[in-house]
Amino acid sequence: MRMSRSYLQVLLTFARNSFVRDTMFRTNFVLECVSSVSWTLMNVGFYLIVFHYTPLIGPESGWGKHQFFVFLGTTWLINSLVQTFFMTNADDYSELIRTGNLDFALLKPIDTQFLVSFQKVDWSALSNFFAGLILLAVSLGHLCTRPEHPLVITPWAVALYVVYVLCGVAILYSLMIALASTSIWLGRNQTLYDFWFYITNFARYPMEIYNRGWGVPLWVLFTFVVPVLVVVNVPARILAQPLYPERSLGWPLAAFALAATVASLAASRWVFQRALRSYRSASS
Amino acid sequence: MYRGDFALGTLMRFLPIVTQIFLWWAIFDTIGGAEPGNAAVAGYSFHNVVAYYLLSMVSRAFSSMPGLASGIALQIRNGEVKKYLVQPVDLLGFLLLTRVAHKLAYYSVAALPFALVFFLCQRFFVGPWPDGLQWTCFVLALLLSFLLGFFLEACIGLLGFWFLEVSSLLFVYMLFNFFLSGHMFPLDMVPQPWHAIVDLLPLKYLAYYPAAVLLGKVPRDHLVGGLLSQCVWVVVFIVLARVMFRRGVRRYAGYGG
Amino acid sequence: MAIIELQQLSKSYWVYQKREGVRASLRSLFRRDYRAVHAVRGIDLTVEQGEFVAFLGPNGAGKTTTLKLLSGVLTPTAGQARVMQHVPWKRENAYRRRFALVMGQKNQLWWDLPAQESFRLHQHIYRIDRAQFRQTLDELTVLLGVTKLLQQPVRELSLGERMKMELIAALLHSPEVLFLDEPTIGLDVVAQHNIQRFLKYYQQKRRITILLTSHYMKDVSALCKRVVIIADGRIHYDGSLSGIVDRFSGHKIVTLQLAEGQDPTHLDRFGSVVEVEPPKARLRVERRRVPAVMAALLNAYAVEDVAVEDPPLEEVIAEVFLQADDAAAAAATAALPAGPR
Repeated sequence: MRMSRSYLQVLLTFARNSFVRDTMFRTNFVLECVSSVSWTLMNVGFYLIVFHYTPLIGPESGWGKHQFFVFLGTTWLINSLVQTFFMTNADDYSELIRTGNLDFALLKPIDTQFLVSFQKVDWSALSNFFAGLILLAVSLGHLCTRPEHPLVITPWAVALYVVYVLCGVAILYSLMIALASTSIWLGRNQTLYDFWFYITNFARYPMEIYNRGWGVPLWVLFTFVVPVLVVVNVPARILAQPLYPERSLGWPLAAFALAATVASLAASRWVFQRALRSYRSASS
Repeated sequence: MYRGDFALGTLMRFLPIVTQIFLWWAIFDTIGGAEPGNAAVAGYSFHNVVAYYLLSMVSRAFSSMPGLASGIALQIRNGEVKKYLVQPVDLLGFLLLTRVAHKLAYYSVAALPFALVFFLCQRFFVGPWPDGLQWTCFVLALLLSFLLGFFLEACIGLLGFWFLEVSSLLFVYMLFNFFLSGHMFPLDMVPQPWHAIVDLLPLKYLAYYPAAVLLGKVPRDHLVGGLLSQCVWVVVFIVLARVMFRRGVRRYAGYGG
Repeated sequence: MAIIELQQLSKSYWVYQKREGVRASLRSLFRRDYRAVHAVRGIDLTVEQGEFVAFLGPNGAGKTTTLKLLSGVLTPTAGQARVMQHVPWKRENAYRRRFALVMGQKNQLWWDLPAQESFRLHQHIYRIDRAQFRQTLDELTVLLGVTKLLQQPVRELSLGERMKMELIAALLHSPEVLFLDEPTIGLDVVAQHNIQRFLKYYQQKRRITILLTSHYMKDVSALCKRVVIIADGRIHYDGSLSGIVDRFSGHKIVTLQLAEGQDPTHLDRFGSVVEVEPPKARLRVERRRVPAVMAALLNAYAVEDVAVEDPPLEEVIAEVFLQADDAAAAAATAALPAGPR
């Protein structure tokens, strides 16, 4: 009990210090918020064009305009949480390794992975979280008030949604920290960061689109080996598509997503510990 | 540290296209119904869309200038630019030459992965083989897109003479570049009245235009005119960069560096 | 029971060897050359509670590596170590709560924030209770004279002030063992002196155990009774500071002040002449010959004043380092481990 309380207190101090720091560079902070939100707005523009030409993404997939915008909103929620809490830290981590400043983290009487993963909070990235919430509210509003089959959102669905969004964050975090850990062996490796972006790129679309041609092996790869496809798909379906029971999530996928989360976290922990053993502590 | 990194990195650049292809595949399946082969979006068949993405990668390879603007801004900020005021070297000319050398070196290595991807995807290139005029215009458009990309981004970097922090400006530029150059989708798909605006901007020459020329999406009698207006944009940005540099240097000297 | 015990502690690692030239770089794409670095080669050391020990040695001698091994940042290739009954590289929280490492060349405070915020973070990480934290912080800031600087962003502090803040951060949890890696590097004389004074006071008051590495002889002579000379990854000397001279220098310096009119030439009959600046002259004389030489000198010249001194410590130590280097080079050529001295 005392243990978890102290971890929470450290976490709050990290968050607070980051916030103090952000407010010291206020103009920069505002600019970053604006630019990240405008990026996401451009994304909406693109999909408005797409839905200008098609009613659905994939025949009978159930991903119409508003359902898809629920999907998109979920993507933003998850991505912004990952960016807010982990992106800077994963980036700093390879810097800590390069400069040898990881020494200080290793000296502290607290779990090193915890310390490295949570050190900084990038509050400006949270602006996309709110953008995601707005998009979610608007498109769910459309779905709930449409004349045929208005969508009904149960508290149960909302609770599940929150759980699976957090699972998604955990899976992406695991992938990120595992990739960052490899810089102990490889040095700072730009390709790895590109790799992260390219892989998560697969998570940004409904998994049905891979259900054709040579997409099936990709679907298998990104569902079962690197489970990024369940990150957004599972929560988005829970909220947007409960009306189609025959196509809806299905318990197997939901259960799998939970298992994938646990497995990812365990795997990333293993990689992190292995990497630490090879740490050489550069002298400045 | 670089073992295999490079070729792998180039191949991975094509990964985002893979997801785009599946997205459009699903869309064409939806609107084409039983005969997806005949479906078209703004005149593009599914094969056209894939071919377009691959070709726009080529134009982006010419027009993208990673690190140029931020590099110039950094040199201004830390005073390194002073070197060019004393030495008989022209900053823009020097940077242009390094960039050319860099691109040449890059493509001598990257040509292989590019060729591999195009070979694997050759079935998406349907329709008549482009004729001499199209090829000529394509190559010229690519070279001009290199110059346009260079001077456009140089201008943004030179804003560093007036603003301390250009990184957010640069971000906005990249944002517009990403969506309005045709990197994300063929610009023909933009509905009116937006299309008219996008068509007037120089950004379309950075990705869309060379690809559209080779795919035959530009009417033959517009080919030369299109190239001419691309030339005009290049000249505009060359002049703008020169003027900005001269003014900036004067302002700089006025402050005593 | 000794507080720190090292037995045959060794650390080697492989570093990627870069080679010059295009052909070599191309070759390294396929096959890389690695070189083994033996940073620490079998160190035995015992430190009792309350000692203040200095590690002296040239750059790359293995001092910092030893401290990092003792802090658990690195895992040794061979050998054993116990600090307060803990094996450092297991990194148990119980151990990490009881010691601190300060590195003069690195900084752990949040750069853009006042040091106060970093201290508060340490309070939570080390779970120091509020009252205790307040009291320790007040005491340390007063001692180091930085109370007014607590609210200032760290990046605006001078190097000396920053070092003081680093020290405070390390001492907040009242460690029983403190490792200091060149804590005064790059500081001006006043700041160096301040930090020395503080360390001396703090160590005497708390009776904590301190291991210090430094390039400045002033630090060492002001603070430590016991000195360990490390060169080439091995211990070459372990004892008192003055003992170094007895052990490594067989010479004394004889300074003569000759009476007016005396010709200071031909002094080299008595020993090697260090310098002649009439009427003064300095000679290096073998220790066991000092009495005989003195008698002969006083016999040969009219002497107004005479002094017999040990050679300056720095010179002696530099000589030891040089010898160690030569021995290492010889060992490397022979590809055989150097024998015990």
